[in-house]
Amino acid sequence: MATSGRRAGLLRFGAALAPLSLLAACGGGGGDPADYPEDNIEIIVPFAAGGPTDTVTRLITEPMAEELGVELVVQNVEGAGGTVAAGQVAEAEADGYTVLMHHIGMSTAPTLYPDLDFAPEEDFKTVGLVTEVPMTVIARKDFEPTTLEELAAYVEENADTVTLANAGIGSASHLCGVLMQQAMGVEVQEVPYDGTGPAMEDLVGGQVDFLCDQTTNTSQQISEGTVKAYAVTTPEPVESLPDLPTAAEAGLPDLEVTVWHGLYVPAETPDEIVEKLTSALQTALQDQGVIDQMADLGTAPVAQDQATPDAHSELLSAEIDKWSEVLSGIQAE
Amino acid sequence: MDLLSNLGLGLSTALQWQNVLFCLIGVALGTAVGVLPGIGPTATVAMLLPITFSFDDPTAALIMLAGIYYGAQYGGSTTAILINLPGESSSAVTAIDGHEMARAGRAGPALAAAAIGSFIAGTFATLVLAVAAPALANVALGFGSAEFFSLVVLGLIMSITLAAGSPLKAVAMIVLGVLLATVGQDQFTGTPRFTFGERELYDGLNFVSVAVGVFGVAEILRNLHDPERREKIVEKVTNLWPSREDFRRIAGPIARGTGVGSVLGVLPGGGHVLASYASYAVEKKVSNNPRSFGRGAIEGVAGPESANNAAAQTSFIPLLTLGIPAHPVMALMIGAFIIQGIVPGPAVMEREPELVWGLIASMWVGNLLLVLLNLPLIGLWVRMLTVPYAVLFPSIVVFASIGTYALDQNPFHVLAIAFFGLVGFVLVRCGCEPAPLLLGFVLGPLLEQHLRRALLLSHGDPMTFLTRPVSASLLALAALALIVVALPAVRRKREEVFVEEE
Amino acid sequence: MGSRPSEADRSTGGLRPRSSADLIAGLVLAAFGLAFAVAALGYDRGSLLNMGPGYFPLVVAGILVALGVAIVVKAYVAPDLSHHDTPARSDGESRDEGLAFAAVLWRPIVATTAALVFFAFTVDGLGLVLATFGTALIVPFAAKEMTVARALVIAVGLTVVSLVIFVVLLQLRLALLGEWLGG
Repeated sequence: MATSGRRAGLLRFGAALAPLSLLAACGGGGGDPADYPEDNIEIIVPFAAGGPTDTVTRLITEPMAEELGVELVVQNVEGAGGTVAAGQVAEAEADGYTVLMHHIGMSTAPTLYPDLDFAPEEDFKTVGLVTEVPMTVIARKDFEPTTLEELAAYVEENADTVTLANAGIGSASHLCGVLMQQAMGVEVQEVPYDGTGPAMEDLVGGQVDFLCDQTTNTSQQISEGTVKAYAVTTPEPVESLPDLPTAAEAGLPDLEVTVWHGLYVPAETPDEIVEKLTSALQTALQDQGVIDQMADLGTAPVAQDQATPDAHSELLSAEIDKWSEVLSGIQAE
Repeated sequence: MDLLSNLGLGLSTALQWQNVLFCLIGVALGTAVGVLPGIGPTATVAMLLPITFSFDDPTAALIMLAGIYYGAQYGGSTTAILINLPGESSSAVTAIDGHEMARAGRAGPALAAAAIGSFIAGTFATLVLAVAAPALANVALGFGSAEFFSLVVLGLIMSITLAAGSPLKAVAMIVLGVLLATVGQDQFTGTPRFTFGERELYDGLNFVSVAVGVFGVAEILRNLHDPERREKIVEKVTNLWPSREDFRRIAGPIARGTGVGSVLGVLPGGGHVLASYASYAVEKKVSNNPRSFGRGAIEGVAGPESANNAAAQTSFIPLLTLGIPAHPVMALMIGAFIIQGIVPGPAVMEREPELVWGLIASMWVGNLLLVLLNLPLIGLWVRMLTVPYAVLFPSIVVFASIGTYALDQNPFHVLAIAFFGLVGFVLVRCGCEPAPLLLGFVLGPLLEQHLRRALLLSHGDPMTFLTRPVSASLLALAALALIVVALPAVRRKREEVFVEEE
Repeated sequence: MGSRPSEADRSTGGLRPRSSADLIAGLVLAAFGLAFAVAALGYDRGSLLNMGPGYFPLVVAGILVALGVAIVVKAYVAPDLSHHDTPARSDGESRDEGLAFAAVLWRPIVATTAALVFFAFTVDGLGLVLATFGTALIVPFAAKEMTVARALVIAVGLTVVSLVIFVVLLQLRLALLGEWLGG
C-alpha cells in the first residue's frame, strides 16, 4: 500500500522509480535464521555523520560487532526528519542485515508527517532501547531569571519579547520547547535554526534568550559556564550535571522528556534474528568503554530490562500517543 | 613565549613521522577522490571519514582528516579548472577563469597558481588561527542574523562582478539560484515547498547536481556542438609552470585573497562561502584590465583559491574555541572528535593542548604536503585533458551519476543533473553565466534564513537591520558597492554606442 | 556570451528581436519565475514578523519575472552586445557564439539526457552494475561517428573502472544487483 502511494507520486513526477531497496544485495539473504549473522550488517542512521544519533550508533557498533562476529557498517541516510531512512528500512529485506537506529523522531513522525509511507508500529520490529539522553533547559549567560521557577514567571510576564530557540522543526529541541511552553502555560516566539550548532552559537552570543536541548549538545557549554542552566528534564538528576535540579524539583513536573534511541528491523524479520540482535545490544550496553563515552556526552546506556523489544515497543506506543496530543496543530504539511 | 611554545608543541606532534604519513595519505586520498567529477569536498570527507574512526590515536585520526579535507578541496579545484566542473561553491569561481586558462593551454599555470596561493594563504591563516583564535571567536559571536543578512546582501551585490557579460543576466541568474534553493522543506515551518509531494526532494536540490548540470553537462553539450572548441585545448598544452610574469601577477591577488578569506572564514554560519566570491570581486575591481576576467585571468584563479583556503583555515576558529561547527565539513569534524572521545567546547584548547595545537600545526603540514604532492602531479592532471573526448565525457557522466547517487542513494539527484544540464545549456547558450546561479543557490538559504530569523528576533521590526551598527555599516557598504558596480556599466553603455558590431 | 544578431536580424528591424539569445534567456527565466510564483501562492505567506513558507519564494519569484521581462524588452530595444567590446577570445569561442541556435544538435542533447535518466530510473531496480553499464553504453552516442563496437568497449571499460573505484576502493555500500533481479 505504502509502495503504491509512492509509485503514484513518482508517476506524477513523470517517473516510475522502483521502491528503494538499496542494500538488499549487501545482505546474504535467504539464509537460515539459525546461522545469522553470516555477513556484515548495515546500520542505517537517519541523520548526518557526526551528529548525536550517529555518535551514539558508532559507540555501540564496535562491541555489538564483536559479539555478533561480523562487521556492523554505519550508513547515514539523511532526509525529512529521518523519515527517508525509516521508509527505506521498512521496505528492506527482512533478513536482519538492515537495522535502523532512530530516536524520539520515530514517535513524532506520524503526527508531523501525515502522509508517511510507513507506520512505526506496524512496519517494524523493535530490538531494544539504547539510551535515553536527558535534555537541559539553558539560557544566555546574562538572562535575568536564575531558577526554572523564575524563568517560568519571567516568560509569562514577558511572553511578547522573549525568544525560544530550537534546532529546526521536529528536532528534539523543538519538541522540548513545545512541551515547555505547555508546561509553563504560555506561548512565546520560537526561533528555528538550522541545527543545534547555529542555535547554540546565537545563545552563547546572546542573540536569543533560551533553549532546551540534549545534554550531548549542551553539557560542555554548561560546564564551561558559557550558558546559564536551569534544570534537566529527566525524573532523576543527571550524574554528570549534579548541580542541576530536575524540572519536577524546580517546579515544572510536566516538563519530562528524554531523547530515547532504539534499534529497529523490518516487521517480517524472524524472532530468532531479533533475539540475537537484542542480546548483542545488551552486551554492548554493559561495555565499560561505551558507558564512559556516553558519560562524557552526559548520558548513559539504558538498564538491561529496557534494552528489550517489549520495553521498546511499550515506550514507542506511549510516545506516539503523547506527541500526537502535544503536537496537534503542528504539521509538516 | 606562549604562542611559540604552543606552536612548538603542535609542530612536534604534527611532525612525528606517523602523523606526517597519515597526513600524506589523507592528502593523497582526498585529492584522488576529490578529482572524481561529481564528488565534492563535503562528499569526499563524508566518504573517507569512517577510515579515521578506526584509529586509536585521536591526533592521528584528526590529522589525517585535515589532510583529506585539503586534498578534497584541491581535487575540487582541479576538476573545476580542467573540465569546468566545480565540486563546491568556491570552486565555481575558480572555474570561471581557471577553465578559460585550461582552454588556452594554460591549465598548468592555473593549477600551480591554485596550489601556491592555497599554500601561502594557508600558512598565513594558520598563524592567524594560532595568534588570535580566542579573540576572534568573541568577535564572531557578536555577529547575529541581522548582521549576516546584511553581509549576504553585500556579497550578492559584489558578485554581480562575476559576470563577464551582461550584468542584468547575471542578476537574473543569481535570483534564479536563490529561488532554486527554496526547493525543499521550509526550515521554519516544516512545510515542503516545490517538492511535488516527493519526500526525496524534502531536503532540497543537491548542490553537486546543480553544479554538474549547469557547468559539467552544459560544457559537454557545448563541446559536442563545437568540436573545435575542445580540440584547441589538447593542441595547446605547452607550459606546465607559471612564467615569471605569472608569478608577478598572482602576488597581489594571493595577498589580498588571504586577507579577505581570513576575515570571512571566522564568521560562523557561512562566511567562508563568500570568501572566494568576495576575492574575485576585489581582484576584478583593482585590476588594470578587468575585461580579462572571465577570459582566463590568472588573478581570478589565484585570489579566490587563496581566499578559500584561508577561510577554510580560519573557519576552524569557531570550532576549536566554541565547539560550534561553521559548515558541514566542520560538523563532520566534530563527529570525528566525539568518536575519538573528545567533546569540542570552549575549553578543549586548555584540556587537550597537544591535540588542538597538533591539529593547527598539521593543517599547515597538510597545506605543505598538498603543494609538494600536487605540483609534481600537475603534469599528470593536465594529461587528463589529452584523454580522447569520446572517452572523457562518458566518464564524466558516469562518475557524476554514481557520485551524486551514492551519497544518500537518492536517484532524484541524478535526474536533477539531467534537468539542470538542459536548462544550463539553453541559458549558457543565451549568454547567461552559470557561476552567479551557483552563488545564488548557496547564498539563497542564508539570505532567507537570516532575514526571517532577524525579523523574529526583533519581533518584526525591520529597523533592526539599520539600528544595529555592524549591520547598518554592511548595508551602507552594499549601497556603495551597488553604485560602484553600476557606474562602469553605465559608462560602458555609452561606449557601446560607438563600438562597431564586428 | 550570447549570440550575435546576424546581419539579417538587424536589417529587418521592426518587431523582430535584435537578439534572439536575449529573448530566449528572458523567456526562460521569466517562465521559471512564473512557475515558482504560482506554486508559492499555494503556501502560507504569513506576515513580515513571522514570514510563512510562501513569503520569500513569492517575492524572489516576482523579482525573477521582472528581470526576465526586462531582458526580453532589452532584446528588442538594446540587445546585449557587451561581449563585443572585449578583445576576441583566443580560441574558438567567437565561432561558438556565432552558431547560436541555428545549429542545435539533438544527438548530444538526447543521448546525454537519456543516459542520466536511464541511470536514475534503473539504479535501484537493476542495481549498480547494469545501470552503470547502460548509462555508459548510451552516453557515447552523444558523439558523432560513434560505432556500436566503440561504445561497447567504452561501456565495458567504464563499468569496470567505476566498480573498482566506488565499490572496491571506496567501499560504498551500493546494491550491485537491484531488486528487479532479486538482488
